Amino acid sequence: MQPVLELKSVTKEFHGVAALSDVNFTLAPGEVHSLLGENGAGKSTLTKIIAGVYEATKGQVLLHGKPVSFANPAEALRNGIAMVFQETSLVPSLSVAQNIYLGNEKFLNRLRGIYIAAQQFLQSLNFHVDPTMSVSQLGAAQKQMVEIARAVHHKAKVIIFDEPTATLTPEEKYHFFSLIKRLKQDGVSIIFISHALEEALEVSDRITILRDGRHIVTDAAANFDRNKIISAMVGRTLSAELYGSAGATRTARPYGRKVLSVQNLSMGRMVRNTSLSIYSGQITGIFGLIGSGRTETAKIISGVVKRDFFHGGETRLEGKSVRYRTPRPAVKDGIVYVTEDRKIEGFFETKSIAENIYLNYLASDQGTGLIVSRSEMVELAKRWTDKLAVRAIDNAASVIELSGGNQQKVVIARALVQQPKLVIFDEPTRGVDVGAIAELHHVINDLADSGLAVVVISSYLPEVLNLSDRILVSRQGRIVEEFSMEEATEEKIMYAAVH
Amino acid sequence: MALSLSKRAFNQERIVFLITIVLFAVFAVELNNFLAPANLLALVRSVAVLGMLGMAMLVVVLGRGIDLAIVANMAISVGWALQLIAGGMPVWLALCVGLGFALGMSLIGGILIAYAEIPSLFATLAMATFIYGFGRAHLITGTDVVYLPKDMGLVAQLGQGVVAGIPMPIIVAAATALAAYLFLKYTKPGRFIFAMGDNFNAARIGGIGVRPMLVFQYVLSGGATFLAGLITATSVGAMNTRIVNSNMIYDVILVVVLGGVGLSGGRGGVRNVIVGTLLIGVLMNGMTIMDVQYTVQNVIKSLILLFAIVSDSIINPRDEQTGQQGDI
Ligand SMILES: Nc1ncnc2c1ncn2[C@@H]1O[C@H](COP(=O)(O)OP(=O)(O)OP(=O)(O)O)[C@@H](O)[C@H]1O
Ligand SMILES: [Mg+2]
Repeated sequence: MQPVLELKSVTKEFHGVAALSDVNFTLAPGEVHSLLGENGAGKSTLTKIIAGVYEATKGQVLLHGKPVSFANPAEALRNGIAMVFQETSLVPSLSVAQNIYLGNEKFLNRLRGIYIAAQQFLQSLNFHVDPTMSVSQLGAAQKQMVEIARAVHHKAKVIIFDEPTATLTPEEKYHFFSLIKRLKQDGVSIIFISHALEEALEVSDRITILRDGRHIVTDAAANFDRNKIISAMVGRTLSAELYGSAGATRTARPYGRKVLSVQNLSMGRMVRNTSLSIYSGQITGIFGLIGSGRTETAKIISGVVKRDFFHGGETRLEGKSVRYRTPRPAVKDGIVYVTEDRKIEGFFETKSIAENIYLNYLASDQGTGLIVSRSEMVELAKRWTDKLAVRAIDNAASVIELSGGNQQKVVIARALVQQPKLVIFDEPTRGVDVGAIAELHHVINDLADSGLAVVVISSYLPEVLNLSDRILVSRQGRIVEEFSMEEATEEKIMYAAVH
Repeated sequence: MALSLSKRAFNQERIVFLITIVLFAVFAVELNNFLAPANLLALVRSVAVLGMLGMAMLVVVLGRGIDLAIVANMAISVGWALQLIAGGMPVWLALCVGLGFALGMSLIGGILIAYAEIPSLFATLAMATFIYGFGRAHLITGTDVVYLPKDMGLVAQLGQGVVAGIPMPIIVAAATALAAYLFLKYTKPGRFIFAMGDNFNAARIGGIGVRPMLVFQYVLSGGATFLAGLITATSVGAMNTRIVNSNMIYDVILVVVLGGVGLSGGRGGVRNVIVGTLLIGVLMNGMTIMDVQYTVQNVIKSLILLFAIVSDSIINPRDEQTGQQGDI
């Protein structure tokens, strides 16, 4: 059978450095083809060449046997190729419905008409998003759903999903995978990128693995298992310890000082009368479904949301009552929030890696007074990119040129240079590969061991179970249950989050 | 740190620089007096004030703002100071009052933008109208033109002095550019301005005091504006408040944008403004020698701006993911 899409020895160079070398790839009609590899392996670059974002330096792209080269994603879309980007590309000021129909508008657009149509369409996908909301008000997961809906709506023959599930909770993931099955039945070919290897094993027909921009192997999914994938991804077999599965024996850390206590905090419809305490020297995991108010609570605590809608409640930092209206005083007091939405509020994209890290260092009033010091910046950047194993040509590269997972590491480095007392990670390993997740978890564990109060908000249950010393479950704007490490199981947590 | 933009072989800054060189060469060959030292000095001198105002605008634009009140602030603050001197106030005191007025007005504008969260376009437009209206009604009571009093002392040298053969306005403009360069590149607040222009939310969450920083930008701009006004008044012997109603403010935006400073913030620097200013200087000087009509000069200026922007976007297309809203 003729493949829908074929890449023949494609090479892509950035500033003379190859991000892809000589890669071959085929996509059969109606197949789900997973593309796996470490951060920076070239997955996004490969798919962006297909979708017309980049032009290949060398090699050919064949669509239905004919060579093509699309000038831009819009042209690719007209030829039946849609892509859901890793970093969101929605227009923030438009509503959900307007975003879905963007580029498809009739000459005269009735807003009410597209709201109704979008409502029905979203419902048919089982995505619970209000089509009249403006995209800037959505959380990361909801944005992802809108992004997926938009690609599906265009009735493309080939749909590329670049880490679509990174922010979704189990419930939405379930809907997403049934959507994939449906698309497949309709004969749509799908390229699926994910760092959740189990997902890839379950959903795909074939799997292709890239390493350092090279094609390593393509085979039927049935011929793979987790370990085989990992060794192909990293090029050697790794000790089980680094990739240790959930539930390895460990003991919960004891409670330290009470660093933060929140009493009856409320804000709008998102946070309702919630209370919680955070202790030093341990990791507090917060699990909950999307819209359960986890992120909002964290953002109130760290002064990120404006308190216009604040309805009351009390926050005490080490016994002292605090109420931050902006993040600056919170940062000065040692409370640092690591955002879940790195593209929107995580980094400065035209600035270098080094400057991104240094700016946060300066912002927390460290460093040499009024004058910036280049050597200090370079040294600081080296220390942190080594520690978090950020993969880049050098630290003078701008952050936008990094792969998604490496951008995430820069965002984390930016927070940690501020030497926080309390650090709140919101989806810290979003888009990070399996090996690097283990490394990041190691870093987070070290923070708690060194006495910091650490909070990890995550929609990924194994992550919460793996990291936390105690687990809080959030539902409908409040913390509804607390589990100690010993008593927590996936079932109990899920039950508390849903019921 | 080098901007990612400057890694590109041909960005807008270089295109504009190239146009400047080509024009310069053409004028040098075609026009008799163009290369005469006196003409070259006159060329630079003619755009010195424009360049200084460009620096004032740059500081604001880098932080993703815009200041439409610059020209009004300059005319009224300096005009008022001159009138106070003519009325018998000591020069230094009058200048302090004028400077205080300029800083105060930009402070108010900055507060409106930072704390009342009014978009800079509207806030500074309103401030421009207010400053001009208030100034003409209550501060500058005579005619539109306030003449330079005779006994200005050393201050008059700002516009008329010559040091080592170079007119003072050029020296002051160069010093301003150097100061702006050092400030933006080597100081903490300077780097914060870039950060805020690049991603305001990330700057805020990172713990930068974005509101005080915003106010600070406008106040800085106000200070540079007053200095530029003082140079204007001392070199032509008067401050004509009518310039508020001219299209000078567009010229200021033009030199900033022409050199490749992005109105969406975070991109560009002093060099871009210098390049933009020099192009305008060469163009105007050459066209004046050729006796091109003023209206035609404006058409040519705008065509060059469009050419620079269009060729930049053809040579360096923005892709779906790296493009920003409101990109130039
Ligand atoms: N616009 C760019 N300019 C320069 N280098 C780039 C650019 N985009 C990607 N790269 C480099 O190409 C390599 C591959 O990046 P790519 O984004 O394809 O990785 P990825 O496999 O998608 O990783 P991740 O899992 O982290 O998303 C990386 O080393 C990255 O730094
Ligand atoms: Mg990627």
